[in-house]
Amino acid sequence: MGERECIEEQAAEWIARRDSAHWNDAQETQLKQWLESSSAHAVAFARLQAMWQQANRLRAIGAGVPPGVMPRPGELRSSPYFDATNPDAPNVGRGSSGMPASPRRRLAGRAAGWSAVAAASCAVAALVWQQGLFARTHYVTPVGGTAEVSLPDGSAVILNTDSDIRLAVSATERRIDLRQGEAFFNVAPDSTRPFVVTVAGKRVVAVGTAFSVRRHGTEIDVVVTSGAVRVEQASGGRREPLAQLKAGSVARAGDAAVTVQQRSLPEVEELLSWRSGFIVFRETRLADAVTEFNRYNGRRIYIEDPAVADIRIGGKFRATNIESFIGLLREGFPVRVQVLDERIVLTAR
Amino acid sequence: MDETLQQWFIREIVPHEPALVRLMSRLWPDRHEVADLRQEIYIRVYEAAARSRPTNPKSFLFATARHLVVDRVRRNKVVSVELKGDLEGLNLLIDEVSPEQNVGARQELRRLAGAFELLPAQCRDVMWLRKVENLSQKEVALRLGMKEKAVEKRLARGVRLLAESFYAVADGDARGTGALVRKEESGHG
Repeated sequence: MGERECIEEQAAEWIARRDSAHWNDAQETQLKQWLESSSAHAVAFARLQAMWQQANRLRAIGAGVPPGVMPRPGELRSSPYFDATNPDAPNVGRGSSGMPASPRRRLAGRAAGWSAVAAASCAVAALVWQQGLFARTHYVTPVGGTAEVSLPDGSAVILNTDSDIRLAVSATERRIDLRQGEAFFNVAPDSTRPFVVTVAGKRVVAVGTAFSVRRHGTEIDVVVTSGAVRVEQASGGRREPLAQLKAGSVARAGDAAVTVQQRSLPEVEELLSWRSGFIVFRETRLADAVTEFNRYNGRRIYIEDPAVADIRIGGKFRATNIESFIGLLREGFPVRVQVLDERIVLTAR
Repeated sequence: MDETLQQWFIREIVPHEPALVRLMSRLWPDRHEVADLRQEIYIRVYEAAARSRPTNPKSFLFATARHLVVDRVRRNKVVSVELKGDLEGLNLLIDEVSPEQNVGARQELRRLAGAFELLPAQCRDVMWLRKVENLSQKEVALRLGMKEKAVEKRLARGVRLLAESFYAVADGDARGTGALVRKEESGHG
């Protein structure tokens, strides 16, 4: 165990000991000495003392729970406290599927009276959630924007920049039409209704998995982070399987061929860092990096010199922070940067 | 110990820990070192504040973080492009930190509930009885039929684990993707 962890353990022991009935003046003096002997002790203690005080607020969350009853894991987050007035109720509603089916544990002999309250609030959450869904079946994001959409089956979609999806959820199929751009899908398992993304004349079919699809004209990129996905050619009424992809697969499917690369999970996650607003480059050609940046920004970068296009760069950038990227190029690379009104032009220096 | 310095630290510095940890995780390539860096930043801030309290504690905390990262990079004589690119964006990132201060008590409570639920069952029971039902350690011991010393131990472990997740889990929640991340972790499919 490292030094920090060791100090944190000691600090936690002091806090619990001071909370006991046996705390006395001698111990108070010892604690004082311990705290004064090192700033590392003092900050670790202050941090955990802050947590100890924060924990008193659990009382607010536990307000609806009768004494002697312990909530089960998953139950607190769907507590009526959060549902009742929270504008994010539809999101909380996702947690409603996690409501316990088995009775909660009881510490003492009193019956639980909270489940009725919790169940009622879940019904309200579900209602709001469905209204939200039926009202909208079409989602778009502007350049530089991302959006998160919750589907009625518990699946979630994150839309990347400049993207357009239409939803068609029926009793037999959950279909998303990706008209433009890129989206990540986290699919709730439902073996009776396959989850299908239709894109550029292809179908990407999943049952209980997480993957992203990006459209480039008639080609598509599919990245799978968990589970399995099937890519089909869909022309007329015929469906022809093209490829079966498993977790870690990065595939590009055109009209003629499908290429599949197998990557490690961290690499795959990195490809999807746009979900948190970042783009990551590793030994990436500057031309490709620029193309990537241009997806997210109204102000476009142009390379007017082939010598510049092949420079390799690496780094993690906020997708909409074009200044940081340009600053880096200017400072660290033999690149001349001209900033014009609506364009940024790169040439060799 | 200066009691007011501790109170100041709890009030002005510790609440920024989620934002600080998130920032450091972005800047620093090795995630395992982030907690150690955080501790070092805290020590620097604490010692500086012992001499005189900064007028804007939050800016001071993040400026200290920035200096520490720059120091480390210089000492290692390795300027990774990755780090450098983000260092330039650091001021921007710090600006982004502020909105989450306004996310409100409700979201913070939800984070607290989430952290509490991650506790091992034994710690959770003890913490619940002590903090929610407000029983003394002795009463908790009686209720659960265990020794007082054992209650104390579980509370100590509980507060430490609670801090670990409460101050770290903000990552997803603050960006609104927390539910999604948890889903992936629950590994359905």
